[in-house]
Amino acid sequence: MSKELIRLHDLCMAFDDELVLDHINLCINDSEFLTLLGPSGCGKTTTLRIIGGFTTPTSGDVTFDGVRINDVPPHKRQINTVFQKYALFPHLDVFENIAFGLRIAKVPAREIEERVMEMLEVVSLKGFERRRVDQLSGGQQQRVAIARALVNRPKVLLLDEPLGALDLRLRKDMQIELKRIQQQMGITFIYVTHDQEEALTMSDTVVVMDKGRIQQVGSPEDIYNEPQNAFVADFIGESNILNGTMVRDGVVRMYRKEFPCVDGGFAPNEPVDVVIRPEDIDIVPVDQGQLAGTVTNVTFKGMQYDIIVDLGGFKWLVQTTDHSPVGSQVGVKIDPDGFHIMKKSEYSGMFGDYSSYSEEYEELADVSALEEEESGDEE
Amino acid sequence: MKKTKNNNLGDRILIGLVFLFLYAPILILIIFSFNSGTSSSVWTGFSLHWYRELLNNRLILTSVYTTLMVSLLATIIATIAGTFAAIGFYSMRRKSRDALMAVNNIPMMNADIVTGVSLCLLFVAFFRGWGSIAGWINSIQSWFVLPNRLSLGFGTMLIAHVCFNIPYVILAVGPKLRQMDRNLIDAAQDLGCTWMQAFWKVVIPEIKPGVVSGALTAFTMSVDDFIISYFTAGSRTSTLAMTIYGMTKKRVSPQINAVSTLLFTTVLILLIIINIRESSMQKRAEKGTIRTKEPSRTARILRRVGAGALALALLVTLIVTGRAANARPEVNICSWGEYIDEELITQFEEETGIAVNYQTVESNEALYSLIEMGGADFDVIVPSDYMIARLIEEDMLAELNFDNIPNYKLIDDQYKNLSYDPENKYSVPYTWGTLGIIYNTTMVDEEITSWSAMFDPKYAGQVLMINNSRDALASALLYLGYDINTTDEAELRDAFRVLKDAKNAGVYQAFVMDQVFQKMEGGNAAIAMYYAGDYLTMLDNNEDLAFVVPDEGSNWFVDAMCVLKTSPHKAEAEAWINFIASTESNLANMDYIWYASPNAEALADYPRYYQDLYDEELDEEIYEIMAPGEDVLERCEIYENLPTKTLQLYNDLWNELGVSERSDSPPTGLIIVAVLLLLAILCAVFLRFNKRRRSQNNRKRVNR
Repeated sequence: MSKELIRLHDLCMAFDDELVLDHINLCINDSEFLTLLGPSGCGKTTTLRIIGGFTTPTSGDVTFDGVRINDVPPHKRQINTVFQKYALFPHLDVFENIAFGLRIAKVPAREIEERVMEMLEVVSLKGFERRRVDQLSGGQQQRVAIARALVNRPKVLLLDEPLGALDLRLRKDMQIELKRIQQQMGITFIYVTHDQEEALTMSDTVVVMDKGRIQQVGSPEDIYNEPQNAFVADFIGESNILNGTMVRDGVVRMYRKEFPCVDGGFAPNEPVDVVIRPEDIDIVPVDQGQLAGTVTNVTFKGMQYDIIVDLGGFKWLVQTTDHSPVGSQVGVKIDPDGFHIMKKSEYSGMFGDYSSYSEEYEELADVSALEEEESGDEE
Repeated sequence: MKKTKNNNLGDRILIGLVFLFLYAPILILIIFSFNSGTSSSVWTGFSLHWYRELLNNRLILTSVYTTLMVSLLATIIATIAGTFAAIGFYSMRRKSRDALMAVNNIPMMNADIVTGVSLCLLFVAFFRGWGSIAGWINSIQSWFVLPNRLSLGFGTMLIAHVCFNIPYVILAVGPKLRQMDRNLIDAAQDLGCTWMQAFWKVVIPEIKPGVVSGALTAFTMSVDDFIISYFTAGSRTSTLAMTIYGMTKKRVSPQINAVSTLLFTTVLILLIIINIRESSMQKRAEKGTIRTKEPSRTARILRRVGAGALALALLVTLIVTGRAANARPEVNICSWGEYIDEELITQFEEETGIAVNYQTVESNEALYSLIEMGGADFDVIVPSDYMIARLIEEDMLAELNFDNIPNYKLIDDQYKNLSYDPENKYSVPYTWGTLGIIYNTTMVDEEITSWSAMFDPKYAGQVLMINNSRDALASALLYLGYDINTTDEAELRDAFRVLKDAKNAGVYQAFVMDQVFQKMEGGNAAIAMYYAGDYLTMLDNNEDLAFVVPDEGSNWFVDAMCVLKTSPHKAEAEAWINFIASTESNLANMDYIWYASPNAEALADYPRYYQDLYDEELDEEIYEIMAPGEDVLERCEIYENLPTKTLQLYNDLWNELGVSERSDSPPTGLIIVAVLLLLAILCAVFLRFNKRRRSQNNRKRVNR
């Protein structure tokens, strides 16, 4: 595959004795679209800022093309950044914003003109060059920010939650746009987000982070299908995570029953976390199911129903196209490849029980009800 | 509909009244700055005379220069320091930033007088320690020599101005920084800027409006400041405000009106600029107007060149004036306001090459406390007789070397070896004069010849008593036939009783010093006691006034030039004294200030001088009043320095009389009425507005 471009070696970062990055090791390849994914406070933005040169790590090394760049200031790195809220210069117009880096580098005026115009074309903003930036929409500002970074022809583009401030529709469009630009320019994108869908849609490689540590590195498919621990399983998509015991290769036991599965490589009778994706579960009549339970909640989601099923006190989320009324007795059936077996980790038992999930729904409903009340007051 | 219109009219009238109340004083000041006469209350015709005069007034021009210099420099330094401080605050954690902002705000709330006094104390304390530090540094190295003695002056005032300006700059810049996206600096660095480049290319344009309005505020505050400057400028430097204050001591010259008008206009223009800038900025921010074109390249270059040239010019002026000031020998003089023909200063500087720093102070007592505090750095002072005695007693004066003052022999022997300086080792007389009664002949039927007029209930509400314990009690002592230098407590208490009874009987309209000019010239009072020279000034504006040295006798005073013991410029000081003692200088001074000269030749020659100058004969009577003959002087006595115990008694009696320093201000009743009126107007305006707003709100609600 393509060659290694950036390597983070044993990176640690502490703010006031609080460890923000805990021994991060990561290798980023040339022309790769890599996403740092994790909840807020997981250290993803710090990692990005260290790569950009805005923050110096407490310990560990950053190498770029094999050269250690820990102490190289941002303006000497062949890396450019698209900031969270764009950070466009309000006193300059669109053209001058994009030309900023080139002017600093003392590129001849003619070339600046050419390159800025070319970039405007890439980000589909031709004709906007003399607009003030505060007259642009969020999406347009976003594209100016991208153009401003890319016009310097960096080897790496860092993007810090660039779509966070856009509405859903625009976000989807920009996701596709960004992927297109990345492929067109053929450079490395390092993308930070907390939105798992964004990460899965665009990335070549996803790095899932939590509590300053890398939880899993892999392609989007790997991450989704073979989560390494309960955190990843829960964070990427929806998961029912249960305690189980690996009886032997291909057989897992839970609910005092044995189920066939396809995983192996565990010690006999090793306690494990069992992940079952909601869409891998079929609802069947009670007599045909491997387990039986009661429907406690049904939510219509358009493409499917989210059904919460109480199975022996543990609430499962099941996504299915068939409707089952609340209170009905149903059976559930899972194919062997629907089971993902994970080693126990510090996250075991923290996620995957949808008794809290249903409450989440209620909370959400409460919030929207409150909002309605408030707006009603105003009227 | 009609009703609303009426309301509007009512509101407008009310607002108009409020503004009239606020601006009437300034309006009067501006009008009288164009008065052709010398009076501040009698309009004699339009003229630009005082503005022209202003341009020839050295003292004012120097102080304008000082004011501009200190304001500009302080603004520049404070703007730079304040901007960086604001950036420092901005990158701090919230807690420490809030704490520091609170600290930053204190100096703005703090009373100026506290800031001024504390800075003055700090400087004086530092200077005290400086001598040994400088000595030590000079002893261990020979690269440069530090001056052994520092004193208050331009430098300290500049430091003080920078101090009180910085908070305003921080306050103006801070919000702009907080509005700025924190990532902007990162973004600029990311695009290839060093931190400094990022600062210049991104941060500065972003916070520029804040910096500019901070600088303008700082400049306005600086130009405006009086109190802090007063305490930190020392004796050698004075700002415009300080000069105006000094000028009010003797005679309120209409030049003050002119200069105040100019000052007011300047500050007004600055404020208007600030406001227009702010509102246009807001508008632009709201509208998001399209900037059609970047300023062209040549325009940008021109602007930069222009700014550079301005900065360079400023720098060159500073260096040149600094050089000139340093290179020339100098002499620091402290006198009373309007007490010299300033042509003389120029003439002296041209003849000798010695630079003159001419300061004024309002009274003997103020002069004394200035010297005693150690904040002043005068060489020559011009105290009155009794104060000279006190200064000699306290060993504060230097013995003069009369070999350097050949013109001393021109002084009439009559004014030598007087009681305050019996061997005449310390002083050379400057002027002399008498204290007497001034009265308006159209308001007083009889001819006044006795001090009794000052205590006569017949003139209740028409009499102006002098607001100074020594002169006031002297009039009563004379009336009772006692000696004005008495130390007998019973006699002084008798005199006090006379004053007190007259005051209780409502004889006195007010106790005044400078206001006497206005009141007597305008015919607002019938009788006043004051100095002969000043009577002649009033006579110019009101021909009905008469002056008399009462039969019981009076005080005759001598103001004389002395050199302080601490003076570092003794030779220059003696050169100055010699110059002033000359016949020519005495003639010029006499013509300018109307006080009699101790120079025998000059005194005798004045009528001829007057005739040559004005082409008309000097009125015999005026000359008589200016320089009374032997017959009058026989009745008069000079003040002697009193023993401490008697001074204390004077003080106690004066306090018991209940005349505060400011008792010449309008009566309390009038103030209360004025304040109540203002409050009533404000209330009415407020209620109107409130009602209208409520009715508007109601209408809105109905519409919905």
